Amino acid sequence: MKTATRNGFQTGITFGVIVVTMFLIGFTVIGAALVAKIFGTSVSSGSIPPLPFFVIFISLVGLWNGATAARRPLTGADEFKPALVAGLLAGLVTGIFSAVVALVFGMLAANKIDVRTYLVAISPESIKMYLFGQDAVTGSLLSLVLLTVSSVAGSALAVTLRTNAKVRGFFQKAAESYTNAIHSERAIKLRNNPSARYAFLALVAAALIILPRTWGGYWNYVLGTVGIYIILGLGLNIITGWAGQLVIGYVAFFAVGAYTFALLTAPAPHHLMWNFWLALILGVLAAGISGLLIGLPILNLRGDYLAIVTLGAAEIVRILLKSDLMTPYTAGPRGIRDIGGPTLFGRSFTSDVDFMYLIIIAVLVVSFLAYRLQNSRTGKAWVAVNQDETVARATGINAYTSKLLALALSAAIAGLAGALFASRNQFTGPDDHQLMVAINVICLVIVGGIGNIPGVFLGAFALKGLPEVLREIENYRMLVFGILLIVMMRLRPEGFLPAKRPALEKNTPPSGQEA
Amino acid sequence: MQACIETRQVSKIFGGLTAVNSVDLTVPEKSIASIIGPNGAGKTTLFNCISGYYKPEHGQILFYGSPIQGQQTFAVAALGIARTYQNIRLFGDMTAIENIMLGQYPRFSANWVDAILSTKRERNEEKQAIEEGRRLLKFVGLDGMGDTLARNLPYGAQRRLEIARALANQPRLLLLDEPTAGMNPQETDKMTHFIRSLRDTLGITILLIEHDMRVVMDISDQITVLDYGTKIAEGQPKDIQSNQRVIEAYLGPGGSTLTRKYQQRKKQRHDAKN
Repeated sequence: MKTATRNGFQTGITFGVIVVTMFLIGFTVIGAALVAKIFGTSVSSGSIPPLPFFVIFISLVGLWNGATAARRPLTGADEFKPALVAGLLAGLVTGIFSAVVALVFGMLAANKIDVRTYLVAISPESIKMYLFGQDAVTGSLLSLVLLTVSSVAGSALAVTLRTNAKVRGFFQKAAESYTNAIHSERAIKLRNNPSARYAFLALVAAALIILPRTWGGYWNYVLGTVGIYIILGLGLNIITGWAGQLVIGYVAFFAVGAYTFALLTAPAPHHLMWNFWLALILGVLAAGISGLLIGLPILNLRGDYLAIVTLGAAEIVRILLKSDLMTPYTAGPRGIRDIGGPTLFGRSFTSDVDFMYLIIIAVLVVSFLAYRLQNSRTGKAWVAVNQDETVARATGINAYTSKLLALALSAAIAGLAGALFASRNQFTGPDDHQLMVAINVICLVIVGGIGNIPGVFLGAFALKGLPEVLREIENYRMLVFGILLIVMMRLRPEGFLPAKRPALEKNTPPSGQEA
Repeated sequence: MQACIETRQVSKIFGGLTAVNSVDLTVPEKSIASIIGPNGAGKTTLFNCISGYYKPEHGQILFYGSPIQGQQTFAVAALGIARTYQNIRLFGDMTAIENIMLGQYPRFSANWVDAILSTKRERNEEKQAIEEGRRLLKFVGLDGMGDTLARNLPYGAQRRLEIARALANQPRLLLLDEPTAGMNPQETDKMTHFIRSLRDTLGITILLIEHDMRVVMDISDQITVLDYGTKIAEGQPKDIQSNQRVIEAYLGPGGSTLTRKYQQRKKQRHDAKN
């Protein structure tokens, strides 16, 4: 019982703080709007969603609260009673938090004091919604009751799902049949069957060819951005994920690639109007060389110097591009317009579908490079330098050139992403190259699983794709990223898809058999 | 017999502290030499000078006659000098066989372009590296554990894996820094045996630092004693055992008299018994 009380109290306080914070930053409105979206009712941003959706949202929070409070370890063979006690306690504590805040803000609103002067997100309407349309006292009591009831229900639900033999049996069976299906002889045969593999690849290829034609301009734009971030993530993964050198100002190389490409293909300010492919290659090369130049003086040092230097470089690049000094050469803060698109055999391909194809091809090429490098002699040397540079040196690895190569390749890939980005938007300016871009890339690599190629894909979709789908939380993007990073550090410090090492003693890799 | 490694008047100074002071050391080819001495005598510092971590302020280090002092660590390693560490230092997040494959790094030459294009060189080398890795795993008795992450291996296995990684580069000189540290007597015996077999079957010259005197006296062809960075004695095990300066370095001044008394009493007791 003692653990149950303690669990209940702790969880109640945590969720109390969460609920109050959500209210203070106006997230209760957004949450209700999200619930409304799930039920198919669209709520325009800025307006207040109907009350039932708010009730559902708060109840969901309460359910979660109860379920967390009823977590293990609970004393005694009978888990049901202590779980309920924990849920009740958690609900009461959270409810009291919420009720106090509701009461205070309800009173303020009743006295016609506009709190928006101090807390921008709290409109009178949102306070009214938080009080369920009632006056301050009734509203706060309702809040207390709702949170308590839903929390008890949550704990009951959680403990039932956990202890009920039928439910557990169902999940066990499902898990068993899943592993059986994966490890069954037929499945293994199918996976090793070359024609099945080709069929699968053909299916994927067909999907990649057909889908961009059908899903329209908006999705092509969103997924094109995701693709560019995948390329950036794969690039950063080389130097940060494998070679273990943190690069904060990765956007510097992105900018070098974008500007090199833009200046070579745009009519102004230089009117060079080069061929797309030539300019693309030069953009990649310029970015790679800039990486090399930044790495030369600092990569023989150990520690986080590279992080600091690239951070500085990113800001210097952006400010230089903006400055009066460089305006004649880089068009200054106005940016470069009418950047060229891809041409092939005299025809130009500039529709959004064409660009989607181009980005898909670039993603495939870069993934292929990353995949080939990953377990090669070079790739292993990077990981060795990452894990213990001193020992890596004594096994004959030149850590300096190894890191330098990683940085140059990373930078070149960022240059490719930058050039594609500039070409697709037909515009690039200093504001496209804010430090935020680099922070996004670092986040997506860490969240996806540092050092892992599929992890980068997952991270890019989660961090660049989802926010586009959930437009409601646009203003809270940074908050969500921050929370996500903290949660990841606590629960899965290696990311959603942690890197795995190949089993080389048992299985010879496919490339080794042909030799 | 040709000298494998030779240090001539090597000194390493940290600020005001002379960690290694004009040390002369010659290790003949295919012998097992030990460096002993109290804590802080400069043994590991001397190792670090040989393997290229430190650049000695004075003196020369000759490997088969050619000077290697001041060369980069990776270049020294490529010449055929491999080492292990006092506190095991493996690439913990890589598998055992990958650790061994990294040990072979200087023997191969495939670069990143080969990796991307998957050239014949890349594929051949990869195949060779894996085969050699499997062979070495078997050699140190770790076959079947090759796909385990190094940090998940038991302590003894980690020690052996570290030696396997050092052997992977087919070194001519192997520097072992306390190879039996933390081992129980049975494991120590096994390790002693193993080290001797390295010399006998592979013909590798071995230089080791060791605190376990039973091992040192058992295994060494030659012992060098350091104290406060200076060489105080050198010779065969039996000479070192009775060397007064060595005993005093370990037990403090007067130690040699004590030892003599102890040995006399032991002898008396022995005589009385018979």
